[in-house]
Amino acid sequence: MPPSQLKQLKASLRENGVLGPQKSKKENDKMRRPESREIALQAIRDRFNPFEIKTINKSSKFDVTTRDGNTTAGGGARPGVTKSLGEERRRATLLKEMNSRNKVGGLVDRRFGENDPTMTPEERAAERFARESQRKMRKESMFNLEDDDDEMQLTHMGQSLSFDGPNQDDFEAGDLEDAESDEETSRKRKRIPDDDENQDQDQEDFIDYGDEEQPGRKKTKAEVMKEVIAKSKFYKAERQQAKDDDEDLREELDKELPDLFEALRGIKPSAKPAKPEAPKQDFSEMNPERAAMLEESQTSKDPEKEYDQRLRQMTFDQRSKPTDRTKTEEEKAEEEAERLKKLENDRLRRMRGEQLTDDEEDNVDEDEILDDDESEIDDATHFGLPAYPTETRPELGVEDEDDFVIDEDLVETNSNASLDMGDSDMEEEEDSSSDESDGPDGEDELINGMTLPAEDSAAASTVAEVSKEANGKLAFTYPCPKDHETFLSITKNVAVEEIPTVIQRIRALHHPRLKPGNKDKLGRFAEVLVEHVSYMGNKTEQPPFAILENIIRHIHSLAKTHPLNVTIACRAQLREIGKERPLNLLPGDLILLTGLSTFFPTSDHFHTTATPAHLCLARYLGQCTTTSLADLASGTFAASLCLQYQQVSKRYMPEFVNYTLNALCNLAPTEPTAKFGAFPYRKSQESVQLVPSKKVTPRKLQFRDVTTSPSDPQAQEELKISLVTTLVSLLGSASDIWAEKSAFTEIFTPVRAVLQYLRQSLKGKVYAAAQEPIQSTLDKIDSHLAQARLVRRPLFLHDHKPLAIKTAIPKFEENFNPDKHYDPDRERAESNRLKKEFKRERKGAMRELRKDASFVAREQLREKKERDAEYEKKYKRLVAEIQSQEGRAANEYERARGRR
Amino acid sequence: MPALVTDSSSKKRKSGKNASGPSSKRRAVADDNFAEKLSTIQELENQIAESRKGYNNIATLLSMLNVEKSAEKPEMAVAVSLCRVFSRLIAGGNLTESSRAAENEKIIVAWLKERCLDYQNALVAIMREADAASQIAALTLSMRIVKERLAHIPGAENNVWSTGFFKDIFAAIIEAHNGEDLQSEAVAKFVKEYEDVRYYTFTQMADYASTTRSPETLEILIKILQTCDEVPGPEHKFENFYAKRDTKNKRLVSSNSHRKQAQEAWLAILRNNLSQSQRKSLLRMMVHNIEPWFNRPELLMDFLTDSYNVGGATSLLALSGLFYLIQEKNLDYPQFYTKLYSLLDSELLHSKHRSRFFRLLNTFLSSTHLPSTLVASFIKRLARLALNAPPPAIVVIVPFMYNFFKNHPTTTFMMHRSIRDKDLLAQVENEGMDDPFDPNESDPNLTNAIESSLWEIVTLQSHFHPNVASIARIISEQFTKQAYSLEDFLDHTYAGMVTADLGVEERNLKKIPVVEYQIPKRIFTDRLLEEDGGVDSGPGCFMRNLWEF
Repeated sequence: MPPSQLKQLKASLRENGVLGPQKSKKENDKMRRPESREIALQAIRDRFNPFEIKTINKSSKFDVTTRDGNTTAGGGARPGVTKSLGEERRRATLLKEMNSRNKVGGLVDRRFGENDPTMTPEERAAERFARESQRKMRKESMFNLEDDDDEMQLTHMGQSLSFDGPNQDDFEAGDLEDAESDEETSRKRKRIPDDDENQDQDQEDFIDYGDEEQPGRKKTKAEVMKEVIAKSKFYKAERQQAKDDDEDLREELDKELPDLFEALRGIKPSAKPAKPEAPKQDFSEMNPERAAMLEESQTSKDPEKEYDQRLRQMTFDQRSKPTDRTKTEEEKAEEEAERLKKLENDRLRRMRGEQLTDDEEDNVDEDEILDDDESEIDDATHFGLPAYPTETRPELGVEDEDDFVIDEDLVETNSNASLDMGDSDMEEEEDSSSDESDGPDGEDELINGMTLPAEDSAAASTVAEVSKEANGKLAFTYPCPKDHETFLSITKNVAVEEIPTVIQRIRALHHPRLKPGNKDKLGRFAEVLVEHVSYMGNKTEQPPFAILENIIRHIHSLAKTHPLNVTIACRAQLREIGKERPLNLLPGDLILLTGLSTFFPTSDHFHTTATPAHLCLARYLGQCTTTSLADLASGTFAASLCLQYQQVSKRYMPEFVNYTLNALCNLAPTEPTAKFGAFPYRKSQESVQLVPSKKVTPRKLQFRDVTTSPSDPQAQEELKISLVTTLVSLLGSASDIWAEKSAFTEIFTPVRAVLQYLRQSLKGKVYAAAQEPIQSTLDKIDSHLAQARLVRRPLFLHDHKPLAIKTAIPKFEENFNPDKHYDPDRERAESNRLKKEFKRERKGAMRELRKDASFVAREQLREKKERDAEYEKKYKRLVAEIQSQEGRAANEYERARGRR
Repeated sequence: MPALVTDSSSKKRKSGKNASGPSSKRRAVADDNFAEKLSTIQELENQIAESRKGYNNIATLLSMLNVEKSAEKPEMAVAVSLCRVFSRLIAGGNLTESSRAAENEKIIVAWLKERCLDYQNALVAIMREADAASQIAALTLSMRIVKERLAHIPGAENNVWSTGFFKDIFAAIIEAHNGEDLQSEAVAKFVKEYEDVRYYTFTQMADYASTTRSPETLEILIKILQTCDEVPGPEHKFENFYAKRDTKNKRLVSSNSHRKQAQEAWLAILRNNLSQSQRKSLLRMMVHNIEPWFNRPELLMDFLTDSYNVGGATSLLALSGLFYLIQEKNLDYPQFYTKLYSLLDSELLHSKHRSRFFRLLNTFLSSTHLPSTLVASFIKRLARLALNAPPPAIVVIVPFMYNFFKNHPTTTFMMHRSIRDKDLLAQVENEGMDDPFDPNESDPNLTNAIESSLWEIVTLQSHFHPNVASIARIISEQFTKQAYSLEDFLDHTYAGMVTADLGVEERNLKKIPVVEYQIPKRIFTDRLLEEDGGVDSGPGCFMRNLWEF
């Protein structure tokens, strides 16, 4: 049995040295420190008061690492303490509130942002300051004398009667402090005390005055005063002047403001919200120039139109910036070279199938498109597109100077523009190329205000020029055609030679800067032009190539600004080809495919238009059947086009080899008996075999050959021998292009065999002019073959780093904490955490509320009891009083009766 | 049509039954020629039914048939009525000779038999020559006679089916003038419907095709045979018979004998002189339509090996049949792989049977027990062919090779080979090397392909089409995938690839397409040539040098 509580207490007191015999001084010192003693006592008290501490009455479970919560829940809790603490707190807050309810008024703090917890003190201060200054600007009351320098002043004998200046005159220097305090009180009297907010400001003002006063002490007072007065007068006059100026200008501008807003609204909504504000800010700065312009517009013939134009210019005017210094010629050239180099690098990267990531903001995954195409090749979708080595393309010469003319030149050429067909369209292209040169930075070309005035005046002058032109047949204005039929009806009465002029005029009249909708219109027009090229190619036997070239160049320059439209139009044409005549290309298709190779980079690894165009050509070459010489001619054209496409990227095209070899076998004077290689031999349905004779000489092939077959046998033979030489030279070029291919030998051994056979069969039967290309091509191929043999090595493709074996070791968490949730899904973890917190808070709040309620109930009960007790007391007191009175009266009565 | 005919005949029969009744009303109404004729026929028929004296009317009716000289415009009403007459006679036993019968009875029977034969011949003639409706009607009538004879004349089975009337009917069906309708009718109504008819058709077919026939006739035979595509299984219950069956005859109820007859028929056709296209179409249906009929498919061996040796597309088609025999019947085909190797020629990848062939090739080469040299030869040969192949074929070949490399790791030397021998290395460094592969060697075990490398596929990695190029690139990447599923690659075409690139409709382009940044000075013409000193070197000069615009 343990000793009694008293004994235990004594023992523990003794242990802790609170009680007991005197200790050594050192020990005593340690013990005597009150805090340690207090702690010890507290511990002892806690230990001996078992009711203070909550005990767990459940038997504890086994301790597991992942057991939720702390196992000592409630172990160290002291419910009595917490309860009394809570009680205390409630008494301090709730009870007070309860008592003061319906009894006491409060002070509302209306300082700005004082009760807004979302604002930082700095923000509050800034906002208050802003309001303050606004109020100052408003100045509702003329009696508010805060800073009324420009207000009417009372004077006496030419001297101001204002309080700041002269009133100090009346006071002695020694009374300065009083004067100030007096001033302050007077101010306070006069001011309309509207808000607390002004308080700070007032104080600041006073401090300012004090500062101003400080240097004044050194001078004599009169001097100081004079100075002050002079200064204030000067400032006042200046301010007045400025204000008047502003007023005038504002009035002027206010009149124009609605127009301006309209113009702004008409323009497509700009992405940056700051933009519309820019012109407004500009006005004040550009005042003189603007005024001049406005004057000009007054004098011009068509003031409204002119005005509109100016207005539009204004819209896009930029804030003047410090410009870069004028560059020297060398620097310009260098910059140009740099730019070209960058473009070329981009091209090479596209060729390798890498992604362009730097400049395009809407850079969608190039692979994605590819993946789409391969979507049905489910196994093939996993292919990455690693780089493979290609040679760099020879650096571009500076021969393309006509594309990148600098703006000043542009202005000059435009100002003396004549409507000569070639020149004017050149300028148009220059326009757009200059746009383009600014464009690639991803900037909206519309923002480019710098070139705009020149541009527009150029357009205007072009229009003016047109009207002066003697050429009376052509109309000067054309609507922008929306589809090909409209365009055809427009150009119905126009000679073919004039079409470029018409196109040029349409482009000039619908320049995107002249009207907001023009950009779309021109885009549509570009599509129409693409359609028109193939239409023109198909229409006539010998298409006018100068005109076609011009149109294609127009399309190209339009493509720079409207790439999407041109692409869509080209793809529509290609789709039509693929659907309707995949194996029977029309001349127009061939022209379009040729043109297409100029405005789209055919070297790209994947290009939305160039790749299908390739495929169209390949399909034609691979599957078409030869029935006539014209077929062969168009096939040859397509084959040359293939090589043209591959000039830069040097990709291999099996169909080209197949087709050329097949064609040569068909054209050979005698049908070859043996097979030359793995290309499939398809005999022409109609014999196109060459009849070797010395009468005909090969010529350069003409596009006309594609459309018409000559009926004259002599001409036919001539065409055949020309086809042979062209095909042979094509093979020669192909061998140059593909010389680096690892399977060069395999590709060109059959070619060599065919050419040898051809040489054999033509030997001595035709002119040397026909023999010679075969021989030279053979020599070339032979040398390439020898070279290919020399560089041939066994393949060494799999020199990869060995792949790591996939590991299956579980992820081990250092310092695992069972209370922490290791949820890999961050969002879920977060939401779980929030849920838990919410639950806890809710529980806590409910508990608190419940306690509050019980506290309130208790308090009310207590109050009621108090009141009741008071009442009881009063009642008793009254009863007692009455009784005593009664008693007294009775006594008196008794006494009186007794006396009686 | 025959339904109509039978309908009308049954109606007539009804009217015939009440012929003795008052049919004067009808006669009064029908006053035109046709009705009159009908009534005469009816009368004649009734007389025959009434007594023997009327038998002479049979001859009259036969003469009314209008088929003596040419059967192009037969009187079908007469034919129908005659059919009724003979059916009745056969059913009444009037055509059966009893040995105890009197002499004059015998004479009558013989005479009737002769008339019956006349009638049968007339029907056959109608089937051969008349118009489609009459042909079909005649067919129905003939089959009816067949049925009646089989039902009522004992022991006629052999007589009717194999040698007698049915043979003539069959020949008439095959040789009928403009007989497509007739044939399809015969197949749909009789051959496919009734198992005994089918059985005997097979018999007749085998008999008929044993002599050399013209390709057109064979075409018809093949068509008929092809439509009989429901091969009876061993548990099949034969219940659907057209005529009464001789219970002693067990052949008709055994699926074996059915199949045997079909086999005979097919064999007879296969041995006949088939045109090339027929041979191909037969090969195409070999697995699904022909082989199931065969009890002994090895009988097809001759045909298949012959076809296999023809070369080209025929060989390709014969492959699957041959494979079936090799697989199922343990056919030993010497030098099968050599032959298979020789099939890989320049036309293969351009042929429309490409995917079919690749499926089979995949099966043939799927064994991991094949020598690596052989597999390497196939790989190398395919690589060579791929250099001249259209994109859809390349797309198949490369994953195909990938699977081989996975299955036959020794062949991976074709992708990766480091030369260890120092002398050889020096030699290669100095002089380069030739391809050790011998493309002209026909034995795939001797081509030395395993010493070679797949330069061809490396070249195709720069194929003009980006998808093809990236597929070709799989052989130089790490082989992490177990195998490519060939089916995903097999059925691509140019058209499909074009649609994949262009789409059917213009969808929104995800990306602003890149435009060439410089506008060339010249595209077609020699514009501004003097600026460049007369030398055309700008982009597109290649075309301008070759062509004059």
